[in-house]
Amino acid sequence: MATKEEILAELKEAVVEYEEDDCREAAQKVLDNPDLLTPMEGVMDGLAAGMEKVGELFDSHEYFVPEVLMCADALYAGLDILRPHVKIDVDAPKASVVLGSVQGDVHDIGKNLVKMMFDIAGWEVYDLGRDVPLEQFVEKQLDTKSDVLAMSAMMTTTMLGMKKVIAMVKEKNPDCLIMLGGAPLTRDVANLFGADGYAESAGNAVSEGIKMISSLRKFQKGDVPA
Amino acid sequence: MAELTGKERVMKMFKNEPIDRMPCFSGQGAVTVQAIEKMETQFAKIHKDADLMAGAALTSAKMWDLDGLAIPFDMAAVAEAMGRGVSLYDAAEGIIYPTVPNKWKDLDEIDIPGDYMSKGRMPIIDKAFDILKKDAPDLAIGAWVLGPFTLGGQIMELDILLKGLKKKKDQIEEFLGQVTQVTVDMCKHYESLGVDFITVREMGSGTDLLSPRMWKTLIQPNLTKVFDAISIPSVNHICGSTDMIIEMMHECGADAISVDQKNDLVETRNKLGNDILIFGNFDPYGTLTTMESTAEVADVIKKCIDDGVDSVWPGCDIWPDVKKENMETYVQTVHEYGLKPSPAVKRI
Repeated sequence: MATKEEILAELKEAVVEYEEDDCREAAQKVLDNPDLLTPMEGVMDGLAAGMEKVGELFDSHEYFVPEVLMCADALYAGLDILRPHVKIDVDAPKASVVLGSVQGDVHDIGKNLVKMMFDIAGWEVYDLGRDVPLEQFVEKQLDTKSDVLAMSAMMTTTMLGMKKVIAMVKEKNPDCLIMLGGAPLTRDVANLFGADGYAESAGNAVSEGIKMISSLRKFQKGDVPA
Repeated sequence: MAELTGKERVMKMFKNEPIDRMPCFSGQGAVTVQAIEKMETQFAKIHKDADLMAGAALTSAKMWDLDGLAIPFDMAAVAEAMGRGVSLYDAAEGIIYPTVPNKWKDLDEIDIPGDYMSKGRMPIIDKAFDILKKDAPDLAIGAWVLGPFTLGGQIMELDILLKGLKKKKDQIEEFLGQVTQVTVDMCKHYESLGVDFITVREMGSGTDLLSPRMWKTLIQPNLTKVFDAISIPSVNHICGSTDMIIEMMHECGADAISVDQKNDLVETRNKLGNDILIFGNFDPYGTLTTMESTAEVADVIKKCIDDGVDSVWPGCDIWPDVKKENMETYVQTVHEYGLKPSPAVKRI
């Protein structure tokens, strides 16, 4: 019979080696062994730990975006099995995010990688998709009162729309954190637009997203600096 | 001796012949809002009317004293002609470039029609070139096409294409072979229309997305076929991270290499030597649209020249909403600071 460590290692390896079937099998083993580990441990110490390793491989130029996309598919294969069984504290407020690619942009790789990060963390995710008219971001954010609004624009030609959305949301809901991502953006541009966070590209979204996953894992273990 | 025309200056540069000063032009979009306002039209309209397309390119070039121009302005025309649709954003506020709404979602669905060159906006682009040939005899007229991989990402979902590079390598290679032929046919077509130079933009293939190994096996062979087929001056443009693939870009056989601000141009020049034409490499949005000081703009342009470009090209389309004084400084600095010879082109 497999040990907890072995099951977690299987989950992690299945993500790193982008093996969707292996990831499903390992996730099922988590559910079949409730005395050994919880679904949340499977998500955080198996799937998310695997994605952390993927981030290292990406940073060292061993993996590139095609590999990362396949690793994400494997992660979701396991997450789809484990997530319905993760215990939710009904009294705790659930964090939420509205995200999408702005109008004029039909690219959504970076957006989907950021979405994965929120999915792992168990956030309520409102994914507006791509080529999203600006007013839809504002309407959805005001409607859901989401904690975070995340917008992506891969093309230089679409990023100016973000500035208008930020101004409209901040005017009505100054506490909403706003994340921007996309290849043409620079930190200066993000600052200029009044955004709170920034990820340079799909590649950078991988690094940034995985760093946030690492933080989440530490947070869950109570390993958070005061 | 009479001053060279813009066309003479550009074409001599492509032949590595001595010229009076560095040419100032781009093989990518260089239309600006000032020209569009002067024409009393709108950005959304210049993509679907031959007179407006040619007029916007020519008015921009004349307004800023550029040596050449290039059309079309968007990258959706071929995919649209293949039946993938187009979103022109007629009603949207501000500047939004056309996009492709209905990309193929599976390799098995792909069916490239044989008559795409006569569909969608393709005849409009052809007519715009005819107009420019008549109305802009003194300017270098450029066409641009997407490289095979980037065109592939316009007609099918990019994430499916990227994952397919690993999971369905044989099918993807066959698909890339098909789109390579489309790129070749487009280049030959524009050549037949009498354009002066062609820029092949394989913009989605930098090492932000693909490994150098993948670039060598899946991108380089197809780009080499494209440049082998072009018999007029050609430019190999890739934006994003190119330092790790720059030698392979050079091996593809184009007359010039164009890179953006992410490239370490001094290192690139060291690697490739002084014979090859190199264009680049400033951030058009960060320089022409957002910079507050023209002195800063001049410094950016001078750095490109000092680093070793033969023509100062923006790293991407010029974002149309440029500041007038920044655009003027860009051109003036190239004219004045570019009087000295560049690595691959001497001066008269």
